[in-house]
Amino acid sequence: MTTASEPYVLNIGPQHPSTHGVFRIRVVMDGEQIQDLDMIVGYLHRSMEKLAEERTYTQNIPFTDRADYLAAMSGNLGLCLAVERLADVEVPERASYLRVIFAELQRIASHAMANGTLVSDAGAWQTPLLYMFREREKILDLFEMTCGARLTTNYMRIGGVAFEPPPEFWPALRELVDELPQRIDEYAQMVQGNEIFIARTRNVGIISPEDAINGSLVGPALRGSGVPWDLRKAEPYCVYDRMDFEVPVGTIGDVYDRYMVRLEETRQSTRIIRQAMEAIPEGPHKTDIPLALRPEPGEIYGRVEGPRGETGFYLVSDGSPAPYRFHIRAPSLINLSLLREMARGAALSDAVVTLGSLDIVVGEIDR
Amino acid sequence: MSEQPAIVKRQLPATPMARQIIERGTLREQAARMPFAAKVIGAIFGIGFLIANAGIAYIVVDGRLDGMWYDFRDLGYAIERLRVELRTVDGTIGGQELGAILAYWVPALIGGIGILSFLGGFLLIGSWIERRLLARFQIRTGPNRVGPYGLLQPLADALKLMQKEVLIPAGADRMLFYLPPVLIFIPAMLAWGPIPWAENMAYLDLNVGLLYVVSITSLSVLAVWLAGWSSNNHYALLGSMRTVAMMVSYEIPISLALLSVVLVTGSLRLSAIVAWQADHYLWLALLLPFALFTFFFSSTAEINRTPNDIAEAESEIVAGFHTEYSGMKAGLFLAVELGNALLTGALVATFFLGGYTLFGLEEWIPGYLILGAKATFGYFIFIWLRATLPRFRIDQLMNFAWKYLIPLSIANVLLVAIEASIAARWDAPAIIVYGLFVIVNIALTAYAVRAWARAIGYAMDVEQPAQPIFAKTIGGLKAARSLRGEA
Amino acid sequence: MDSLGIVVAFYVLSAVTIGAALSVFLLRNLVHAIVLLVLSFLGMAGLFASLSADFIAIAQILIYAGAISVLLVFAVMLTPLSSRNNANSLYVGPGILAGVAIAAIVVFTAIEVDWVQLTGDALRDRSFVDTIETIGDQLLGKHILAFEVASVLLLFALLGAIVLVTDPRGVGTDVTDDADDAPGATEEPA
Repeated sequence: MTTASEPYVLNIGPQHPSTHGVFRIRVVMDGEQIQDLDMIVGYLHRSMEKLAEERTYTQNIPFTDRADYLAAMSGNLGLCLAVERLADVEVPERASYLRVIFAELQRIASHAMANGTLVSDAGAWQTPLLYMFREREKILDLFEMTCGARLTTNYMRIGGVAFEPPPEFWPALRELVDELPQRIDEYAQMVQGNEIFIARTRNVGIISPEDAINGSLVGPALRGSGVPWDLRKAEPYCVYDRMDFEVPVGTIGDVYDRYMVRLEETRQSTRIIRQAMEAIPEGPHKTDIPLALRPEPGEIYGRVEGPRGETGFYLVSDGSPAPYRFHIRAPSLINLSLLREMARGAALSDAVVTLGSLDIVVGEIDR
Repeated sequence: MSEQPAIVKRQLPATPMARQIIERGTLREQAARMPFAAKVIGAIFGIGFLIANAGIAYIVVDGRLDGMWYDFRDLGYAIERLRVELRTVDGTIGGQELGAILAYWVPALIGGIGILSFLGGFLLIGSWIERRLLARFQIRTGPNRVGPYGLLQPLADALKLMQKEVLIPAGADRMLFYLPPVLIFIPAMLAWGPIPWAENMAYLDLNVGLLYVVSITSLSVLAVWLAGWSSNNHYALLGSMRTVAMMVSYEIPISLALLSVVLVTGSLRLSAIVAWQADHYLWLALLLPFALFTFFFSSTAEINRTPNDIAEAESEIVAGFHTEYSGMKAGLFLAVELGNALLTGALVATFFLGGYTLFGLEEWIPGYLILGAKATFGYFIFIWLRATLPRFRIDQLMNFAWKYLIPLSIANVLLVAIEASIAARWDAPAIIVYGLFVIVNIALTAYAVRAWARAIGYAMDVEQPAQPIFAKTIGGLKAARSLRGEA
Repeated sequence: MDSLGIVVAFYVLSAVTIGAALSVFLLRNLVHAIVLLVLSFLGMAGLFASLSADFIAIAQILIYAGAISVLLVFAVMLTPLSSRNNANSLYVGPGILAGVAIAAIVVFTAIEVDWVQLTGDALRDRSFVDTIETIGDQLLGKHILAFEVASVLLLFALLGAIVLVTDPRGVGTDVTDDADDAPGATEEPA
């Protein structure tokens, strides 16, 4: 005689300490095992794409801040690159180097947050998170020094960057870049040697490269599964083709691999920033464009490698200052669709840790 | 940008917050900045403390205090004298002597009120200690707004909780919903009874004290389950089922570890255990290291603290079994967690660290201060564990209890039984016998801990798990496959 | 049993125990019944303590209130929701019969046996024996067979429970089973 158990539905609701924002997961569970998983998004929908149709391209840049609010610089960069290709605007070289520096700084800050919250989801009561926030605070200080805001930076402009960094920016940046490698080693050592963390994350949330590519996974999650795809090397934009860096790739595709890939990427970002700092030329930081830029009618899909993966912007222009269609390809939304496969059959604790490793930002899921 | 200076001095941080942090300086700098009057008062206190200690040393060494009722090193003498005085009261009530009744009830009430006040006082300061210490582990400050250095923060929290609206979830059983906070506070209070604070200062010196402690802590399992069940909430139920399974599983290693303590000391009475450790000048922590480790780790499971706080895993099930509780009910759950942590510290101190004795120092320093220091040290270890370790998954926890701790605990009991019977029959001086046992036990523990883990198939990652590979070429699936073919 | 305190305690504890035990089968809500059953266990422990049976009192709390209550809890959770009504009157007849039979045996024993009665001075002068040592000696001396048989019975119960809850999908169905399909996953799950 065996005892049967009935599955029940658990609602990991919109307000929850670990859903990284407001979105809802309906889980059908059998005891502690997840049988099925249903995601309901839309709690943070602010109709950015519709509002963008009423505004000029420059006025649309703040929308990208708030879409992926943890990677504002990358979002800005993506939109500006797309519009520049559409409107055929030249970008001075100094501006490209500045863009690279700030995008990589943003990547370090975002990965610090992602890894920190992953370890917190595994239960470490925010201690590693706060350690990683040390460096993130310094980076946000640098952002504030330059453009006045820490999170929603609105720094890139069509044709360059908004402001020239102040003189005290460069020594602070050099100091940060000098102490970052040792700090990253500290974070690595603090968490990696921890057997509890390894037991929580090894062989958890595995996705094979075939499934990843079939599901359009991008970013560190894809690279964690072993697929060496990085837009900075595949379709170099700005001055990435002049930078010497490597792309870390995982082996199994579990949570631990994604964590390690993000950690390695912060090291590579430090390299890139250092090279950019050495090689940056003098020059203007922006080209002048008309206030209401009217690009040629046409469409374009421009993409950048943000901290979460390929952040794409699909723009359709009809010759007017406002875009006819403005669509953000949010990596978090597409990555999220693979959660179901990863979490089926796993325990609830594992599903939470897997969700943390996918590094989603609900702002760009719902836009 | 080669013309810029290499490093700019640190007083140019970008944000006001960073500037504030740098200007605040270290503790030494802050102390040097205090006003002169404060420094004078501090100096007076310091010198007064030294003089008081010298006076106490003189009195103690002179032997003036021994056995007198004003011997503040052992408040039991005062209580004994009070009892003697009360017994001489004349009168009868209902056929009973008034003296006997008073001599029983008044010291009982005094002791009970004493324990409650101590517990309540600790709850006020313990929360502060925990938050400040956690903050220090996390490179931040902790509460520092409410009162000087945030000392009034626990009071503010208690007042806030008391004035919150009490919500009862729809569909929850009213009576069963009100019961758990009360039910869980009772064992937390009762278990303090047998603990000896000094030679005559055990409130309930039962001759089955150890068994009493184990059985009272097992009462809180029912309270936890009831809290989860009566909330009519899936999260709460999930949390409480996890907790019940975990608590019940970890009671066995606790009992086995304490069984080895009983085998060595030959008594269940806590004051006898402490006396054994004082007489043999040997802490049971040295003689029974595995029992200490088992007891400590299983206690973290019993009181739901990290790394075993799966029941209130904030990142997964919000707050587990006390999700639906608001106001002072939730406050009681949190208070009980705190009180239980100190209780476990006191129990570890009593069983394994010598209790209120400190190799003869309790003649000078009052025993209750020594025990308080040891209990606080245990509490500090709990906070340390909480700040650094992530939490286990529930099936990993259960595996650990059933496959690892219980077999090893049984082996430990066997070993200790053999040693105890040897000690009873061997005529050598105690230091040789117990010294030998200490060495054998520590060596065997160090070996068995790793060997057994390997025997049950736990591949300990002494070598780091695979590091990420650095890809030379970009590609899709083919590149991935070729990378794996190489790797 | 002369002292006022013990008499008062006896009556209070008896009232609590009997009242709780009565409520167990008179209440409709099954979970309420469990809580009151635990209360009656605690009352029994108090009665044991008032008779100076220290080990039995504490063992009663440890085993009954601590462990058997959890057993009852799990039993309640495994019953389907529909049959959780305590007013289920299927077994009332046999229940009353069994209750009367047990009560008859107990009353008959209480009346007929020649109990050794200690009252008054004899009670106060009797030296208090450490019951736990005596019980231990008896259990491992004179009654060792019963002791061992009881532990074998418990072993069988444990094995039976494991057989009951074994996953029909197979031994060792781990939550990380999907890991076996991933390439390169050669390490055992920790």
